[in-house]
Amino acid sequence: MSARPWRFLRRVAAMSAKEVVHIRRDPRTLYIALAMPVIMLILLGFGFSFDVDHIPLCIADGDHSAAARELGRAIFGSQDFAAVDGDSVAAAETALRRGQAMAALVIPAGFERNLAPGRQSPVELLVDGSDGNLARHILGKVEAIVRTVSLRRAGGALSPPLSVKVYTLWNPAGRSPLFMVPGLVAFLLAIAAVLLTALTVAGEWERGSMEQLFASPIGRLEIVLGKLLPYLALGMVQLLLVITMGSTVFDVPIRGSLPLIFLAGLFFLSGMLGQGLFISVVARNQLVATQAGALSSLVPALILSGMLVPIENMPRILQAITIVVPARYLVHALRTLMLKGGGFSVIALDLGAMLAFTVAILALATLRFKRRLA
Amino acid sequence: MSDLAIEAHGLCRDFGAFRAVERVSFTVAAGEIFGYLGANGAGKSTTIRMLCGLLAPTAGTAHVAGFDVGREPEAVKSSIGYMSQKFSLYLDLPVRDNLDFFGGAYGLFGRSLASRMAEAVAECGLSGLADRITGTLSGGVRQRLALACAILHRPRVLFLDEPTACVDPLARRLFWRVIRKLAGEGTTIFVTTHYLDEAEHCGRIGLMAAGRLIALDTPAALKRTYVPGRVLLARGRQLALAASALRGQAGITAIEPFGAGLHLQVDAAQWDEARLTRALLDAGAREVSVEAGEPSLEDVFLAALGRAEQAA
Repeated sequence: MSARPWRFLRRVAAMSAKEVVHIRRDPRTLYIALAMPVIMLILLGFGFSFDVDHIPLCIADGDHSAAARELGRAIFGSQDFAAVDGDSVAAAETALRRGQAMAALVIPAGFERNLAPGRQSPVELLVDGSDGNLARHILGKVEAIVRTVSLRRAGGALSPPLSVKVYTLWNPAGRSPLFMVPGLVAFLLAIAAVLLTALTVAGEWERGSMEQLFASPIGRLEIVLGKLLPYLALGMVQLLLVITMGSTVFDVPIRGSLPLIFLAGLFFLSGMLGQGLFISVVARNQLVATQAGALSSLVPALILSGMLVPIENMPRILQAITIVVPARYLVHALRTLMLKGGGFSVIALDLGAMLAFTVAILALATLRFKRRLA
Repeated sequence: MSDLAIEAHGLCRDFGAFRAVERVSFTVAAGEIFGYLGANGAGKSTTIRMLCGLLAPTAGTAHVAGFDVGREPEAVKSSIGYMSQKFSLYLDLPVRDNLDFFGGAYGLFGRSLASRMAEAVAECGLSGLADRITGTLSGGVRQRLALACAILHRPRVLFLDEPTACVDPLARRLFWRVIRKLAGEGTTIFVTTHYLDEAEHCGRIGLMAAGRLIALDTPAALKRTYVPGRVLLARGRQLALAASALRGQAGITAIEPFGAGLHLQVDAAQWDEARLTRALLDAGAREVSVEAGEPSLEDVFLAALGRAEQAA
């Protein structure tokens, strides 16, 4: 009886050893696994930045008063806006139309006079609404500055009865990389893992070696595990690389436990490798497997993981779909572990969900994997 | 069990509405070289795949090395070696890694794997090639490597599906030398081919046509059964015209063009060299010479096909 598990391990080891030789002999595999994620992390980490500053803005000052100049100083005093010429309303509109300015602040004549207590002195803000996010951002910034200036002018005598003091925890500066990098890690691991395994089983079909394998006593679970293990090891190296990159290049802190980060990564990778195997088992063809692999890893990891769009903001139906998207759990686990810290209990649910996905997809892949031809 | 290596009873295999193999039955004794002949699409590979446990039979049963292929495919797989028609080694790996892997797949490791590898390498004439990348080897050498991979675990039965397709004649001869040696050591060989000259190496031959096994015997017995008369070879000029005059005469079973000459099957009681020479000259041929010939398996194959078609 004890010979059985022993033979099982032997055959898994033989399969893995062969895959390792394949990987060593094919630089493309190493490129997909190691170089591509690093390059993409740098590109996307800098590219996916929602931090906007030096927004071109022009002020059409019709008042030429001390108060108008004070408002101008307040706006350009921050890094958020850069001054663009546009002295009149007409010039400002032209600048907006030409795209030289993203916003124009129109200060009407009599602005200072109207600042007398008890009266209202409106200013006008023209915003280029073609980029909705940026427009909202500009609106918020200008409103905040105007409010500060008007409070200062009011001299505290009329300080509002209610005030909110905001402390942003975990990411006080609101830097994009801090929440983007954990999301990107999930995204990059997903693509590389699914692509790598999607290619490997389909390759055996195309080569005809699958028939040879089926004629040998090697079992389907042995083939699946033997193929999975080397790529899992490769994936862990990849995880180490991107985490190191994240903390050195993008200054993303690691406040939680590093071993837990790797445990979460391990569960996620197993699931993604399983997904690749499943695709490969069904597709039997490298071209189809690549397409299906890229699509099925990229889209959910990008859109349904909460990396770009908060899951709470999604339509109900999409929210329901995210329940079976492992990337969602890794993004949450990594953001928690890297930015907030905390132990096992905070990410236990994420780990459980990823493990469940892994077991399910591997079972599915093994079952769908017919050891007979046709 | 008996010393039968393979027993097939009424094997059938359908692919949708198409019946690829139709009630095939035969037995192969241990240590025998059994040749399975037929045109492309005759059902050879389908039969071999059923015997290897790769395809489930639609009907019928088969035992290989004493195990039922339908019910104990795993036990079958451990006791057979299989070389598929499609060349299926890992071309990006060196020879050594291919052997390593297939040895591992059959559960060999460590010292026993090393010694079996050394034996298989020597048997198949692969010495000194261990570090060569498989993709850089010639077709014949790759074929012997595939064979080495298939015999690492000392299978009792070896299935070879068109092992010498696309291999040059010298490499084929080398390959067959290895096969005969393995059979001499007790391995049962089941080989499909459509090279009729290769079939002469086989102890017994099964002929497949359109999914049916239409003939089965030793090459010599097949020749006696299907080419009962004598074979005479005629050479000369303007033979084609003379041949049409001879066609249909009593005692002449078949006339086939053979190179520049004629290949005739005749009743030995009625025809001999002298009478045929005279008949050909009378029919207008010139410079005629006739000699006795050996029936080839091609004659057998054509005769068997003809009879099968008549029966159908």
